[in-house]
Amino acid sequence: MPYFDYKTLIPRTVIGVLIALFVIIPVFTTNVITISIFISSGIWAIAVMGFVLILRTGQFSMGQAAFMALGAYTSAILTIKLGMPFWPSFLLAGIVSGIIALIIGLVVLRVGGIYFSIITLAFGEVVRIFAQQMEGITRGARGLIPPMPPTIVLGGFEINFAAGPVPYYYFMILLVAITAVVFWRIDRSRMGGTFSSMAANQILAEHQGIHLMKYRVIAFTIAGVFTGFAGAYYANFLSIITPLMFGLWQSIQIMMMSIVGGISSIVGGALIGATILYTLGIYLSRLPIFNIQYLLFGAAVVLVLLFLPKGTGLVDLWGKFWHKVFREPEEYEMPEESEMAVE
Amino acid sequence: MPLLELNGLTKLFGKLAALEDIDLNVEEGEVLGIVGPNGSGKTTMINIISGYYRPTRGTIFFNGEKISGLRPDQIASRGIVRTFQSNVLFEGATVLESMLIGSFLQYKTKDWQSILESKAYKDDHERVVGRVIELLKTFDIFNDIFLPAAGLSHGYQRMLGIAMALIANPKVLLLDEPTTGMNHEEAMFVVENIKKISEQGVTVLVIEHNMKIVLNIATRIVVLNFGNKIAEGKPEEVINKQEVIEAYLGTETI
Amino acid sequence: MPPAEIWIDGLVQSCIYMTMAFGMVLVFSILGILNWAHGQFYMLGAFVVYYAITAAGIPFPISLLISGVVVGGLGMLVEKFVIERLTSPGYGMLYVTVATLALMFFFEGAAGMAFGLMDKGLSTVLPGVLDLGSFSVSYQKIAVIIFTLVIMISMYIVLNRTKVGLAIRAAAQEPVAASLYGISVGRVSLIVMGIGCALAAMAGGIMAPVYTTNPFMGRIPMIMSLLAIIIGGLGSLTGAIVGGIILGFLNSVIAYHLSYVSEFVLFLLVIIILLVRPQGLFGAPLK
Repeated sequence: MPYFDYKTLIPRTVIGVLIALFVIIPVFTTNVITISIFISSGIWAIAVMGFVLILRTGQFSMGQAAFMALGAYTSAILTIKLGMPFWPSFLLAGIVSGIIALIIGLVVLRVGGIYFSIITLAFGEVVRIFAQQMEGITRGARGLIPPMPPTIVLGGFEINFAAGPVPYYYFMILLVAITAVVFWRIDRSRMGGTFSSMAANQILAEHQGIHLMKYRVIAFTIAGVFTGFAGAYYANFLSIITPLMFGLWQSIQIMMMSIVGGISSIVGGALIGATILYTLGIYLSRLPIFNIQYLLFGAAVVLVLLFLPKGTGLVDLWGKFWHKVFREPEEYEMPEESEMAVE
Repeated sequence: MPLLELNGLTKLFGKLAALEDIDLNVEEGEVLGIVGPNGSGKTTMINIISGYYRPTRGTIFFNGEKISGLRPDQIASRGIVRTFQSNVLFEGATVLESMLIGSFLQYKTKDWQSILESKAYKDDHERVVGRVIELLKTFDIFNDIFLPAAGLSHGYQRMLGIAMALIANPKVLLLDEPTTGMNHEEAMFVVENIKKISEQGVTVLVIEHNMKIVLNIATRIVVLNFGNKIAEGKPEEVINKQEVIEAYLGTETI
Repeated sequence: MPPAEIWIDGLVQSCIYMTMAFGMVLVFSILGILNWAHGQFYMLGAFVVYYAITAAGIPFPISLLISGVVVGGLGMLVEKFVIERLTSPGYGMLYVTVATLALMFFFEGAAGMAFGLMDKGLSTVLPGVLDLGSFSVSYQKIAVIIFTLVIMISMYIVLNRTKVGLAIRAAAQEPVAASLYGISVGRVSLIVMGIGCALAAMAGGIMAPVYTTNPFMGRIPMIMSLLAIIIGGLGSLTGAIVGGIILGFLNSVIAYHLSYVSEFVLFLLVIIILLVRPQGLFGAPLK
């Protein structure tokens, strides 16, 4: 093909370079805090991607943090109480979380809409309270301390998790990459289009042959699986799980991260939103005045919502930027960016 | 055996009978006009056939299979597809996107194949896009393919609705007042297309207020009034029946 | 059979939940949203009353009115500058939901910073008890009951006998038709939000002497009013009242028998009701 499609290739190259930079960040800085922030951001980004996938089908799940809790507690209980090695327990964490999501989805997605949202919020609280009360299993508010993954020896290389955050960082990248590929693929596929049709006009979609319940449950379950993995990994990284780590505030933060990042891009928006809000949260929690973090965080989110152009997030600035760079004056008037995330 | 059988179909909303004890057989290949004053139950009948409502009493058989009580998507996948009077669009979508996401039933490959982007899916997708473009050209909306569907004029939105129903591979097409809101040219354009669709073997049920159009395209008509079927038969015969004229006095004239 | 005190307590709780739920349903009917920060307006109302009495020496009834006006006004500001913006066409429900959730935490944080976290009591207001033979009722609780009666009667009069009330009812049932009759849905939304928040604030204010006041006191009333409107049915004003009554007595009686009502049970009830009968008692049935 003689035509060099620079409009697509240049932005993609830039993304590629950025990703490469991220991957080699630990070469540039050994600051534990910075690396930890990136690890946490990546993990929250996975939860955000799950939320957005469900959102794609037109449903708001206000309790996604509960699936992180389910994954985290499953993994911790398996390793601590049953002596299972980390990696199998990690796998099971995602599977258990997914199964629970499947069961709940089958029961609850029938009603959909606002009832579904309220139920997910209530469910999140039920999980939190359950974790607090079932002292025998979860040690309640004192929490559980999962052991670290064992050192992995890979043909000469030794990956020692106890040595610092760097191994966690690379596994986080691996986890995020896998999740990102899966979600991105789904979003771009016909199934992603099916999801969008359900959100755009449920009745019309159903009459065009789309089984609403089936696809809602699929999205909810997939989100549950990966969110469970994220939770398990997070708890393991922090070496502690307490019930309040994955409560209503966290579910709300996931929602906030999704909007701020932008829901038009399921991967990009999640990464941007999670990183920015998580970092903001960390800095705010350092402030000496108690409560100011809620105040400022809440205010910041409301302001962002008000000032971002309708229905867009930070990720959409990326598209607009390149559009400005490449625009030719006599070019055909391109219509307003379509709001559907379908290609 | 008739293609579509309605037996004793009744729909009650509380005490209000929107449809009362409707018996109707639809033969394959015919164009059945459904007429009647406002509120006579025409759209309710389509809503029940398409699965949007459950009948309070009565059954519907399609090709010998009982379909009353099935979900809309199950009924659509069996080949009965409808258009809407209002609520016709996918919010935020362009014309092309609307058609593509509405093409669910046109695809032959499965979901997992589309996620993996297998060769089979890519070929299928190309075929579907071709079919979509064909339909959009037929209904004269190809030029607006990248524009938001909500920006189309009302008449063209309805055309998009018909195109969307057609991409779903219907054996039976239920048209809910397809020409309402259109000017004469647009209405005639739709009429021509309905004739073509019928020639291709699709059975058509069309709700219409405009008697001229009904006389033009329908092979048979059924008249509803207050939820009851009051007449059925060849258009020229039915419209002269006393009950029909009385039902319509004051609304539509020939 | 629980003693009279429990029934009185149940009545008091019913009154509060009824008032809160009523305000919440009113807002839901017109604006189409659940205001997740509703409980915070309750809390802010309590604080306004507290400071009006202790810092400015304003008599209790007037403080109540002030709290209604001030916090109601705050609610109207929120409606105008946040909710209205985020519910215009093109925004999904996600934005306004997240915004009210963010405001929930914002107000709690702000109150915590401004007023401190310590419990504040107002026991000096309306002290004393009414002796009714085998049991006695504090005047504060009687005030709650009287207050609620006044509010409910006022609401009935406003909604059924005034032009504003007519506009509200019209907008709740058929927004498009109402606007064709010259009713500005935007203005009605503003008024309704003001009323809803004022109701919550005054509920908080009237309860300030009964229990203590702190920045987190809005959380339980929020859950309770949500549960009340779920029991009653999401769009129904009658449902809100009935739901509030049921919940108030249920709460009190269960607390008597089990020594505490676990939050767990409350949330489980939300889930079960929404699964089994989502439309509650009086809500519109689904399809």
